[in-house]
Amino acid sequence: MIGTVISNIIRFIVLVLMQAMVIDHVDLANGWVVPYLYVLFIILLPFDTPGWATLVLGFALGMAMDFFSSTPGLHAAACTAMAFTRILMLRVLTPREGYDPGKQPTVQHMGLAWFMTFAGTLVLVHHLVLFFLEVYRFTAFGSTLLRALMSVAATLVLCLLAQALTRRELRAR
Amino acid sequence: MRELFRFLIRQSNLLLFLLLMGISLSLLVNGSMHHRAQAISSSNAMVGQLYAWRNEVTGFTDLRRVNRELAVALAVEREKKYAEPLRADTGVVQIDSAGRESFTYITAQVVNSTVQKERNYITLGSGSLDGIRRDMGVIGVKGLVGVVRETSPHFALVTSILGNELAPSVELKRTGHFGLLKWDTSDPATASLTDVANHVQVAPGDTVVTRGDDGVFPRGVPVGTVLSVEEDPGSNFHKITVKLGEDLARTAYVHVVSDLMKTERDTLEAKAPLP
Repeated sequence: MIGTVISNIIRFIVLVLMQAMVIDHVDLANGWVVPYLYVLFIILLPFDTPGWATLVLGFALGMAMDFFSSTPGLHAAACTAMAFTRILMLRVLTPREGYDPGKQPTVQHMGLAWFMTFAGTLVLVHHLVLFFLEVYRFTAFGSTLLRALMSVAATLVLCLLAQALTRRELRAR
Repeated sequence: MRELFRFLIRQSNLLLFLLLMGISLSLLVNGSMHHRAQAISSSNAMVGQLYAWRNEVTGFTDLRRVNRELAVALAVEREKKYAEPLRADTGVVQIDSAGRESFTYITAQVVNSTVQKERNYITLGSGSLDGIRRDMGVIGVKGLVGVVRETSPHFALVTSILGNELAPSVELKRTGHFGLLKWDTSDPATASLTDVANHVQVAPGDTVVTRGDDGVFPRGVPVGTVLSVEEDPGSNFHKITVKLGEDLARTAYVHVVSDLMKTERDTLEAKAPLP
C-alpha cells in the first residue's frame, strides 16, 4: 500500500517535469501535434483508487501542469474531466469477477486491446476538452479537432513507449 | 432530509466532479482578469527556478547563434551611433523621433518559452527586482516578442505575440499607414496585419515597425516584413501576412522596455478618459 503511494507520487513528479521540461519544447509538425504524456499518471492509478481520490488527484495533476504552462484552470479542467471519465470507464470495462488484486491498468497486465480502449477514451476526452478550451472559440472547429485527434495518437504512442521502457518483470504468483 | 443525504452520498463522485470542474472553469474564465488567478503561472518562484535550471543545461546548445546575433545587433547600434553623433551620449536612454518620450531597456534572459500552443507564454530570468513591471513591452534583437503579464522578484511571465491576447499597433514604415498585428495564422513564423485600407499600396518586402502609440513599445521597433498581400473582395481592407522578424522559437535574450514617462502619461490620460 505504502509502496503504491510512493511509486505514484514519484510518477506524478517525473511525468509533470518530463512534460514541462522536455515534451512541451518539442515542436512537432509546426504545432499540429502536441502530445501530453503527463496524463499517463491518471491512466496508471491503481484499480482500487476511490472515485473521490481519482478526481482530486486528477485536479491536482492539472493544476501542477497549469503552473508550468501559465494557463490557470486549463489543464485542471481537462484532467478533472479525464478523471471522471476514468471512473465511468472502469465501471464499463469491469470483468465479471472484478479486477484481480495486484493487477494494474497497464499493457503488460491487461493486454494491448484493453489498454488502448481504456487509455484511448481517457486521452481523447482530455485532449478534446483541453484543445477546445485553449482555443476558446468554435470558429476553427475542424482544424482544432484535427489537431486534437493527431495529438491523441501521439500521446498514446508515447504512453506505450513509456511503458515499454519502464517495464518490470511480472512477479511469479 | 435523509433522502437528500442518501442522494448526496450516492452521487458524491458526480458532485465532486462538478465542484472541481467549476473551480477549473472559473479560474480559466477569470484568468485574464483576476490577479490571483494569474499567479498560477511560471513566474511562480519554484516553477521559474526549475525552468532556469533547465535553461542552464539547454542554453549552451544555442550559444554560437546567440553570440552571432548579439554581435550583429551591436554592429547595428554602433552604426546608428555614428550616424547620429548628437545622440551618441544618451547611453541606454533612447530619445525617439519626437524627442519627448524616453525609454530604457532592461536585458533579460529567456528561460522558458513555447510557440506551438494556441496561446504562448515566455518566462524571463529577471523580475521585479530588476525593474520589470506588468504591461511593459518585450522586444527581441530582430522584432517584437510580447508584453509582461506577471512578475515575481526574480522572474517575469510574458504574454507572447503568438496568441490571441495581444494586438500591438504597428505601421508600414514606407507609407506610414497603420493597423493591428494579430496572430491568427497558427504559424509561429507569421502574423496578420489588419485594418490597412485597400487603397494603400503595399508590396511584399515592405518593412513593418511598431507605431509607438500604445505606451508599451517605442516607435519604430522592427516587427517583420510583408510576406504576401491578398485582396479580399468583400472587404475594404487588405489581407496582409507578415513574416515576423524575431524567431520566437529561438529567442534567447530580450529587452524589456521601460517607458520613463508612462506614469506621467497614464495620470494625464486618466484625467480625460478616452471614449
